[in-house]
Amino acid sequence: MSRPGVAAWLALPARWYLGALFVLASWHKIAVPHDFAIDVATYAILPLSLVNPVAIVLPWVELAAGLMLLLGARVRAGSLLVAAMMVVFLAALGIALARGLDMSCGCFASQGAESDPISWLTVLRDVAWLALSVLVACCDRGLLGLDGLWRGREAHA
Amino acid sequence: MSSVLLRAIREGRSSAGQAPEPLLPRSSWRRATVEAAAVAAVAGLVALGVNALRPQGLPLVARTPYEVLVPCPEPGGPVEPVEPADAALRGTRVFLVDARDAGSYRTGHLPGAVNVPYDWLDPLPEPDLKRLARQIAASGATRVFVYGDGDRPDSGEHLGREISGRGIRNVGFVRGGAPALLGRGVP
Repeated sequence: MSRPGVAAWLALPARWYLGALFVLASWHKIAVPHDFAIDVATYAILPLSLVNPVAIVLPWVELAAGLMLLLGARVRAGSLLVAAMMVVFLAALGIALARGLDMSCGCFASQGAESDPISWLTVLRDVAWLALSVLVACCDRGLLGLDGLWRGREAHA
Repeated sequence: MSSVLLRAIREGRSSAGQAPEPLLPRSSWRRATVEAAAVAAVAGLVALGVNALRPQGLPLVARTPYEVLVPCPEPGGPVEPVEPADAALRGTRVFLVDARDAGSYRTGHLPGAVNVPYDWLDPLPEPDLKRLARQIAASGATRVFVYGDGDRPDSGEHLGREISGRGIRNVGFVRGGAPALLGRGVP
């Protein structure tokens, strides 16, 4: 196996950053699911019957994806999950902004619209995170992660 | 840096200039997609299990709509706060608007100020806006200053935002409103 290139080394901090970000983002949503359900409902996109299932399941998917990236385990799958979630979040943000809603994004701890309002800067930030997840998916080589350890063992076996 | 990164992604080549690594095979993406779906499914099952067991778990289907408080977007434009002592208020090419009710206006107002009582339910009806725009144009003013009751929220600031948001430029409001002006013995 050849030495990892520049892109692989750039993907490593991106992987850690996204992993920590998603673990952090999931924490409050899992701890206080009711608050997150209100955040989901505030977007006024999903029918009422889907608000609670999404509020229950989504934070755990965030946590799983975040841990996969942090630990370097099945990184490509983890970054695909992150990328898919970012696409969904971007669509929701775009719809809310197009409707002119003055609200919190609900991305981390639930905050009021005054302290954490959505804006096109939020969209820009999410686009940057989407780009990072694509970078990780394409360029991660298992550096300092479980994927690398597993590949090493397979190579020696 | 970005060109190096792009080249590395495109060519799958290591920075040390060694033999090209194979591009990511399609099967690898397919496997990753399947793994991602499996992880999402397991995470979903864990989430539903934990939710069922915890005391503060949510019902799977909400019975009543959530009370979401999303304030209506304010259509107002930018306004610049000015202090009651600001000399700009006494300038020559200035248009003054008193946002208080007619009774308060009659008891005292800045010389030349036009009364446009601010109604919180219907802030600036179209006829009032048109009349105001005509008056401002006829006065040759380059700046508009609004003062209101000085409360929180301040009717002067809100009327100023309404005027500014309806296409009239260089609108300011007097911080503290009429009480601050009256305190200085202006009217």
